[in-house]
Amino acid sequence: MHDWRIPAILCGLVLATGLAWMTQGMGVIHNDPERNIYIPSRLTMPLQVKVSYNREQIFFRYRWPADQAYVYHDMLRFTDGEWIRHGASRAGPDPDNTYEDRVSMLVDDGGVPEFARYGGYITIGANARFFTDSATPADVASHPHLGNTLGQSDIRKHLPGTRQDIGDWRTVVDADALQAQREAGYFLDLWHWRAGRSNAVGMSDDQWVGEHRHGDAGRGPYTTNWDSDAKQPLWMFDPERSGIHALRWEDVQANRVDFDGIYYLAEAFAIPFDATRDWQDGDVIPRRLLREGAGSRGDIRVHGDARWRDGYWDVTLVRSRDTGMPLDDKMFREQGLYHLGFAVHRNATGSRWHYVSHPFSLGLGRSADIQAVAFEGSEPDWSQAWFEATLFYPGQVNWPLLISQAHAGSADIAEGKPVRPRHSEKQLAYYGVEMEFNEAIIRQWWLTLAAGLLLLAGALAGLWFSFSPTRQGDCP
Amino acid sequence: MTGMHHMIVHFPVGFWALAVLLVLFGTLGRGRTAEISQAALLPLLLLSLLGALAAIITGFLVWPWEANLHSPLARNHILMSLWSMAVWTMVAVLIWRAGAAAFTGARRWVLVFLALLGGGLFAMSGTLGGHLAGAPTAFSKILGALGWNVYTSFYVPDGVLLALILIGLGCAVLGAIGRHKVIKK
Repeated sequence: MHDWRIPAILCGLVLATGLAWMTQGMGVIHNDPERNIYIPSRLTMPLQVKVSYNREQIFFRYRWPADQAYVYHDMLRFTDGEWIRHGASRAGPDPDNTYEDRVSMLVDDGGVPEFARYGGYITIGANARFFTDSATPADVASHPHLGNTLGQSDIRKHLPGTRQDIGDWRTVVDADALQAQREAGYFLDLWHWRAGRSNAVGMSDDQWVGEHRHGDAGRGPYTTNWDSDAKQPLWMFDPERSGIHALRWEDVQANRVDFDGIYYLAEAFAIPFDATRDWQDGDVIPRRLLREGAGSRGDIRVHGDARWRDGYWDVTLVRSRDTGMPLDDKMFREQGLYHLGFAVHRNATGSRWHYVSHPFSLGLGRSADIQAVAFEGSEPDWSQAWFEATLFYPGQVNWPLLISQAHAGSADIAEGKPVRPRHSEKQLAYYGVEMEFNEAIIRQWWLTLAAGLLLLAGALAGLWFSFSPTRQGDCP
Repeated sequence: MTGMHHMIVHFPVGFWALAVLLVLFGTLGRGRTAEISQAALLPLLLLSLLGALAAIITGFLVWPWEANLHSPLARNHILMSLWSMAVWTMVAVLIWRAGAAAFTGARRWVLVFLALLGGGLFAMSGTLGGHLAGAPTAFSKILGALGWNVYTSFYVPDGVLLALILIGLGCAVLGAIGRHKVIKK
């Protein structure tokens, strides 16, 4: 007699194995705005970089793919008699296309040694904004330094040495120590080009990272166009100089952009807001007023036209190699070796929904990952090959986690081993996503492990008597 | 403990690789080769399980448990290692129980399936160990082509968890029915 139980159990095992294989990784990872979670559909992206310099200036050229150009940012739409804001930071892409594209670059000259090994990871401390466990605005606003002195209400990039306990954002070292750190070069220069808030006036923002992300001294390329008492804009388009009173919401929503036309509000064609004008539903006034940057914060300018064409942004920034502001900027000297970390925001996303890079070295006359090319004159010929970087979505991984026992590589970090040889960009992107669901994944992993063992135990029990040496009747 | 684990894992990996071949020779082969393979399997599997136990114990001592739980690669390595050990334990028990009869009839196909499953699992465990040690192999690319990115944790959704448990229970129930018939005989 044929023992039909054996093929039945075998079929069960094959079915279970196939089911497990085909459904692995399902059921946990999903977008969850309540927890500040949005997972980009693409976890990595390319960025091309070229660097050239002459006697006075250094030029950085960036090129990256983007399905569309997002240049509208933070807009006020007239709706039923009120000015409604569209484009505040949120988890994931802005549904109204009102969040700008950006490219940013952290620069170090050796003053922050960990940066060369771990890049931007070192700037992500505990309870950063838009993390699931972000500090509350009230807590930050009541902090003596971050709230009372700096007027901040969220935790942004900061360096580990600016905290007594890197796991606690509240433990900022005292003001004298912060100043001494800055004077010793313990800060990162931050070049921050914004397609909406700076590009239209030919500027990049110029910032630095110490105990917080600061703007350099001087005037930035934009200011806020909002009268919070009157709940209306402070400025509007001057129809005589711009030809319009307002943008139209249908153009913003459709992301219709003419780079040679008016898609932003700037001092050059702004007049004080006229509340008595017959505003129509769908009229749009940018909540940011663009202007010429000044002082140290206005050091970085767009070289030529930074435009999106044929699916790519092509942006060139230029700055004096020595700005004369050593507390705000890193100076680029001949034979100097620097470290850079790049980031790109695209697809109408802001805050932490960006793609970041490993740290790369930059050499001026010295061997490095990115070789800056010296030239005479005022215009680089850009004949060198692109440096090809892969950027990745970093998820919710912060520095306190990486140096804790929860990170298997924490001992390597303590020994100063760099991240690049150890983790690929793709690997870090997957890890970043998994960290956003770590507890749920661990639970599901335990259950999967146990279910597999129970399956095998059940199969063994089922086969027990079929594998009896005294059993008769099998067809060989 | 890292070096000790790296050394010890060679025993189960080597033994299980050989066991896959012996199961195939013992079930599908003929004559003296099949007899030798059948006779060698049980002691080989007992040694492999001892080696696996030592490898798992030393493996758990490489990193803090918290680090293992936070690492997708480590989680996958642990899961595949424990499942490998469970499958090869099952093979050892079945061969111990049935003796030469394990290699006959429909039973041999059970051994073939389990050997291939166990071989696949320990290959996955091994390649994950390579990743963790900083020496990844191309095998992970094959796994990727088959649908599993080893940098993501291996887990299944709730519905499949239930299905696995029900299939296991179903197998056990079938066995109970078999027991009844054996006793009647």
